[in-house]
Amino acid sequence: MDLWTVIAEKWMEFGAKFSTAFIEGGRWKLYLKGLASTLELTVIALVLGTVLGVAVAVIRSAHDQQRVGRKKNPVLSVINGICKVYTTVIRGTPMMVQLLIWGYVIFATSRNHTMVGALGLGINSGAYVAEIVRGGLMSVDVGQTEAGRSLGLGYVDTMRFIVIPQAFKNILPALGNEFITLFKDTSLVSAIGGAELVYYAKAVGTKTYDVMLPYIGIAVMYLVFVLILTWLQGKLERRMRQSDRH
Amino acid sequence: MIDIKNLSKSFGDHLVLDDISEHIAPGEKVVVIGPSGSGKSTFLRCLNLLETPTGGSITFDGVEITDPKCDINLIRRQMGMVFQHFNLFPNMTIRKNITLAPVRTGLMKQEQADEEATRLLQRVNLLDKADAYPAQLSGGQKQRIAIVRALAMKPKLMLFDEPTSALDPEMVGEVLEVMKELADEGMTMVVVTHEMGFAREVGTRVLFMDGGHIIEQNEPHAFFANPKEQRTIDFLSKVL
Repeated sequence: MDLWTVIAEKWMEFGAKFSTAFIEGGRWKLYLKGLASTLELTVIALVLGTVLGVAVAVIRSAHDQQRVGRKKNPVLSVINGICKVYTTVIRGTPMMVQLLIWGYVIFATSRNHTMVGALGLGINSGAYVAEIVRGGLMSVDVGQTEAGRSLGLGYVDTMRFIVIPQAFKNILPALGNEFITLFKDTSLVSAIGGAELVYYAKAVGTKTYDVMLPYIGIAVMYLVFVLILTWLQGKLERRMRQSDRH
Repeated sequence: MIDIKNLSKSFGDHLVLDDISEHIAPGEKVVVIGPSGSGKSTFLRCLNLLETPTGGSITFDGVEITDPKCDINLIRRQMGMVFQHFNLFPNMTIRKNITLAPVRTGLMKQEQADEEATRLLQRVNLLDKADAYPAQLSGGQKQRIAIVRALAMKPKLMLFDEPTSALDPEMVGEVLEVMKELADEGMTMVVVTHEMGFAREVGTRVLFMDGGHIIEQNEPHAFFANPKEQRTIDFLSKVL
């Protein structure tokens, strides 16, 4: 057997395997379904995580920035305490364990595994986003707040027009990384029965007795999306740097 | 215009202002000088409550601003402040820096504020920078914009916290020039500075602070010609 025959044979073999893994029986539709569900998970968790994270960050910095010498607001202190417990517990336990608890303990009777997964992911992401945003708010020079307040602007306006836009620019790289991590972590939702990309790849692998191509296939899909997200992030960062130009 | 009674401020155990009482009348240009750490910046920052006094009271136009029930935002709209490090908002154009506060506080409509910004920028010869960002300006230009930004709120009083200390020497003049014009127009000013020439030329009264006390004060010519306290004499011999 000469080399060419071997290559041709291997190639045919690969083609057959590829066809089994991705085409036969309309399996490509399963991957598309999984991909759609992965993206859906990402978007829901992203929105939930961002809203939670920003809220927690603003509460925590508002608490820390109360004027010294004045009586602390007791309601704010209680909410701040709750926020602290939230970030500590979420950041101190593995995402996988959190998902298992959401899926098999708290919502054990729910059959909408994808939504439960999105909730778990969003709540997890919120704790990280909160710390990123809080760091961003603290990174803005206190002179900026003083300048805003000295002009007679209130706390909310000063945050909204002066501090948050600058903080956002500073945290964009960290936030982008967090979102990319979140996108990849949606794969864990398969552990509680969420029908996303990994779930379908596993299903195809079981049916065709070949897991290599389905798993490598979805790895490529994840990679392509991460590359797209990274590119978008770079574009956004360049646009935000507009005001730095000399 | 401002009545300060028994004002004290401490950071932890460190007493920065010790029982200061002072009155500032409309139209006065009070220049505060003193060694670093003397409390002069803290004194200035207490006047618009950027620092919360730990004791005493401050009354502005008959309103006790140290009363916790007082809406400090309303008071601050009538007091402009200029900082050592300019503190322009880097995420906005110069025009937006100037118009943000008048518009958001409801003092002016956007078009009015834009006109006002144009007028003020013309006055400091920086109209061509209206659509630039702060990072594109020199220090002297930034500080002139910072002054104009404060003026856009039409304040009754201007506070200056070492406005020329962070500037390259060749840019000090242009900023002092704007401040002089402002003084000539009758603006009430409180200026913390190391510029003795400015104190002498523009000030109507000089306060010398050290260790949280006002050690000595006088009309500028007399103050520089015949300082009475030993600490004032020592300080002046070092800076003049």
